[in-house]
Amino acid sequence: MADSLSPECTPLKKTYDSCFNAWFEGYLEPVASSTTDAQRIAHYQQKAKEFEDKCGKVYAEYQSCIQSAVKQKGIEPLLQQAREEHPLLAPPPPAVHPSKD
Amino acid sequence: MKFFSQSYSYDDPWSIVTLAFFLRYPNPYASHVVSCDVISRSVSPTGSLVTTRLILKRGAMPRWFPKGIVNRAETWVVEESEVDPLGRTVRCKTSNLDHVKVMQVEETVVFRSTSEGKTLQLTEARILSGFGWGLTKRIETHGLNRFKANVQRSREGVSLIVHLLRQSRLQPMSLGGSEELVSVGLPGPIPADRETCSTGAGNTHAAGPQSRAQNSSWSRLKAWFRPPPRTD
Repeated sequence: MADSLSPECTPLKKTYDSCFNAWFEGYLEPVASSTTDAQRIAHYQQKAKEFEDKCGKVYAEYQSCIQSAVKQKGIEPLLQQAREEHPLLAPPPPAVHPSKD
Repeated sequence: MKFFSQSYSYDDPWSIVTLAFFLRYPNPYASHVVSCDVISRSVSPTGSLVTTRLILKRGAMPRWFPKGIVNRAETWVVEESEVDPLGRTVRCKTSNLDHVKVMQVEETVVFRSTSEGKTLQLTEARILSGFGWGLTKRIETHGLNRFKANVQRSREGVSLIVHLLRQSRLQPMSLGGSEELVSVGLPGPIPADRETCSTGAGNTHAAGPQSRAQNSSWSRLKAWFRPPPRTD
């Protein structure tokens, strides 16, 4: 896993990354095609809760470390400007039918 | 302004390519990545994972570029992504935060699951310089050429991680011994710096001193697949 921009955040980042990666692998698994849309949404809400339960604490610690490092390094104004000039994510594309994989 | 657009198809399912895309730093093709941090991440009400990452990349200025204008050949890059597991789509937009007057590169990558269970990658980029001094066009052309070369390297990096993920799923018991997995074919000598890649490109067989670097890349890769259990 790549280092953090701030050496003191790197241990927290690595713990967080390990936790996230394990969760993410499960999150990406397809849900059975027979489930209804409502069931699918409930499934991903459950996944979000699982993430919070498993990785929420270390994520908060990592964020507290990284946010102060971002401020110290003076990157925050650049980030703010980029967000204002280019809202990075456009509206979602038209829905595509999920395929089995 | 220059535009770039390309599509590419992976034989692997969307879930593996997406996982590989998020695990892609570090990989031997991305030695220019100095750091990579998640600065915000949440799951939307519809179940999409929305992430912002801040990445520091090392580069090199071309020899003809005026000295003293860009003091450090490093650039902050912001990457915003949305993983939609219902629509089986990833959208990711990347842009540099500094040196934007010299050159700004905005890249959009989309990964979509196809009906055959493969994954289609669409890459689009917009390269814009506001430098002036009669160099704008030359900078944009240089940026486009570097981008084309880097798209290829970036895909090789993702493909390598896809390959290792596939191996780790086929042989979950062998993860303790790295030797046989290393032999599945990591690429030959990998230039330490992208700017020097032309000097190493002709040599494709792995040699002694390189194996150690590969093992070290491998041990880092391995740690992702089966992270050590947390003790608390």
